[in-house]
Amino acid sequence: MSLDAALETFYAEAKEHLESMEHILLQLDEGEYNDETLNDIFRSAHTIKGSAGIFALEHIVEFTHVIENVLDRARENEITIETKLVNLLFQCRDHIQALVKTSSEEFNDNISLQESGANLLTQLSPWINEQEPSSTQNEAEEKLPAINQENLTQQKCWHISLRLSSDCLKNGMDPISFITFLSGLGEIKHIETITDNFPSINNYDAETLYFAYEISLSTDADLATIENTFMFVQDDSDITILSPEATVDDYLALIDALPEDNQRLRDVFIKCGSLTEQTLAQAHKNKEEIEALNSKSQRDEVPPQPKALLETLKNSDLQQQKSTNERKSNKQIRIDSDRLDNLINLIGELVINQQRIDLLASTSKNPDLLEAVDDFEGFTEQIRDAALKLRMVQIGGIFQRFKRVVRDTAQELNKEIELHIEGAETELDRLMVEKLGDPLTHIIRNAMDHGLEPVEQRVSVGKQSTGQLKLAAYHEAGHVVIAISDDGKGIDIEVIRRKAIEKNIISAEMKLTDNELFHLIFHPGFSTASTVTNLSGRGVGMDVVKRNVESLQGSIEINSTLGKGSEFKIRLPLTLAIIDGFHVQSQDTHFIIPQTTITECIDLTSHQHIEGRHCIDLRGEMIPFLNISEIFMLNGQPNQKMPNKKSIPREELVIVQFGNDIAGIAVDRLYGEIQTVVKPLGPIFNSLKGIGGSTLLGNGDIAFILDIPQLIEMAINRDLSHRHLAN
Amino acid sequence: MSKTILIVDDSASIRQVVTITLKGAGFEVIEATNGKEGIAKLDGTKVHLIISDVNMPIMGGIDMVKEIKQLPKYKFTPVIMLTTEASEEMKQQGKAIGAKAWMVKPFKPEQMLQAVNMLT
Repeated sequence: MSLDAALETFYAEAKEHLESMEHILLQLDEGEYNDETLNDIFRSAHTIKGSAGIFALEHIVEFTHVIENVLDRARENEITIETKLVNLLFQCRDHIQALVKTSSEEFNDNISLQESGANLLTQLSPWINEQEPSSTQNEAEEKLPAINQENLTQQKCWHISLRLSSDCLKNGMDPISFITFLSGLGEIKHIETITDNFPSINNYDAETLYFAYEISLSTDADLATIENTFMFVQDDSDITILSPEATVDDYLALIDALPEDNQRLRDVFIKCGSLTEQTLAQAHKNKEEIEALNSKSQRDEVPPQPKALLETLKNSDLQQQKSTNERKSNKQIRIDSDRLDNLINLIGELVINQQRIDLLASTSKNPDLLEAVDDFEGFTEQIRDAALKLRMVQIGGIFQRFKRVVRDTAQELNKEIELHIEGAETELDRLMVEKLGDPLTHIIRNAMDHGLEPVEQRVSVGKQSTGQLKLAAYHEAGHVVIAISDDGKGIDIEVIRRKAIEKNIISAEMKLTDNELFHLIFHPGFSTASTVTNLSGRGVGMDVVKRNVESLQGSIEINSTLGKGSEFKIRLPLTLAIIDGFHVQSQDTHFIIPQTTITECIDLTSHQHIEGRHCIDLRGEMIPFLNISEIFMLNGQPNQKMPNKKSIPREELVIVQFGNDIAGIAVDRLYGEIQTVVKPLGPIFNSLKGIGGSTLLGNGDIAFILDIPQLIEMAINRDLSHRHLAN
Repeated sequence: MSKTILIVDDSASIRQVVTITLKGAGFEVIEATNGKEGIAKLDGTKVHLIISDVNMPIMGGIDMVKEIKQLPKYKFTPVIMLTTEASEEMKQQGKAIGAKAWMVKPFKPEQMLQAVNMLT
């Protein structure tokens, strides 16, 4: 029986619950919570503890148990939610996270983790419910052992007093099975059946149990094992198990507690060998005292009544919320993401095959067939869109994570920062959402560290004391845009220029636009902060941010006004799996240009070229362009010559735009729109610039998917270097 | 014919452990993540035992068992409640709805199997 798979499930589940705990803690922090919220966070801790226990992850159980207790007290309104407690609970949550990531063995070796846990528990102590031991019980316990420590019987025997529920038989439980089970644990020395309750034959009900048992059992088993025997009946029944070390007073207390006549029970106990006449007489004089103590401690155990009432009130309050939750949850199912990816792959194959059929049909010239194939194409497209939608997830999930980052970072920096989230419902391919976490974290930390000013500085320039940070997502022209903006001090272009010159990234003479200067911060090893903090690092991050975004076929833009704030815009395609493409050809090679990037197609030869530059004049605007056959050295002939009118044959120019950048791509032939199933290129093509993937055409030919952002950048850079050369 | 057991718990890992254990011992298992789903999955199927968590979202174990016990078919179906909070109050509630046993989490799979074998 392998539980490894279940352990994996536990880790995934714990992660989910920790996320949910964090989310709720943020709500508690903002004072936005109700009983259901408190119940949810309690349940998360409760589930982590419960599951961890099953896998014997004691280090998790031990710590989480205390947190669970505190949260239980919070939901029972025994303690109030205060900032100090919430802060502490945040740390405890993180500690649980650390514990989950640590195996029991690692934990035993990890002194610092143990210490930090102990430290947290100490801090939590004001909120922990000390299980106040009732003083009366203590007194009784202290008194009892003093009286009689000697063995009551010759053999070391347990005494088991069984008063099973009268419904025991009705519930399908035969008392004999328990007795048989007990005899498996050791030797039953004596068993006395008490038939006092047996009714007259007229009142006899065959399904009711009338017997009680007093059993003397000789066994090496421990108390828990013996108790386990009665696991299923212990709640309806009165079962008392006295250990071989039990004193005569324990027995006397038991005799008092049992419903049968005391004298008769004494006789039964003596028959069992559990008591002797002598010990009974000896202990007799203490009896009254113990009775008094026991009755007192019993009074203390009576549960307070109003709780039940409170529970009913709570329930009615929650009814409405519960029913909405129900509706939501009934409409959702969970699917293994691998299955979904497989479905998308299959639909990719379907699309390719549909194109093959399309091609064959068009050669047949059969109008009926053409019409059928046309319909087929329509449905294939719909299936494709529906399947891709399955993989879309709301970006809100990842946005929520930043609430915590912002909260903690603000505290660390001693700044006041408010995070606003917009467009959390915007959907994006799951694969992309997963890869967005790191770049977003970096940009947000940068904004908090370098962008937003400390309170005094903000007040001195007339801004509100709390820095505003906004995380927004929205759709724009077939792309999803994620914008991170702040109302901080903005990016100082002059500082960037100075730094870039200092670091030999640009020369002092170079004339760059503001936008080009902003983009220098993505240059490897560039840092604008005069003092390096441990938060946003040493400028090693922004180039990684850019690379991450580009690996998702995305781009990043910066807008900033000095003194007013900055905005970073990440622009991403909706999905990476199947795209609407535009099929073009250069020499003998087929290419696909993602349709969302295309603004228009023009005839290259009919437009004026700027002398000495790879640039045309399009309605008064300078557009740099690239020739595909030149870039990819088709025919094996790299064209090193400077372009002039003669070297350019009649060509088509596809104008593409990405973000604010526009460029032209010169090709030999335009075919038109085509559904493109993106097949990634193997790792050996990683260094190949300008190609984002490949696809199969309906006729079986391979076409390369152009990486437009990279090509635009190449076109602009080439034009720039020509400009510098010209200068 | 193998006996069927309904396991209701919102924790996927606990469901998995219980399912692996029970299937290993030759039982059929029906899984549900909350009380509502438990009732839906039951749908007239003969089950020999119900194992349920108490605190679950949407519908807890106590409410579920209450509802199930209304159906004549399941009136005598034994129930084991799984919980970490075996408080007296909870036990009373469980007793009132006819739960046969409480298993306090964490329990060992063998311990649960022993319990199941005694009840089915």
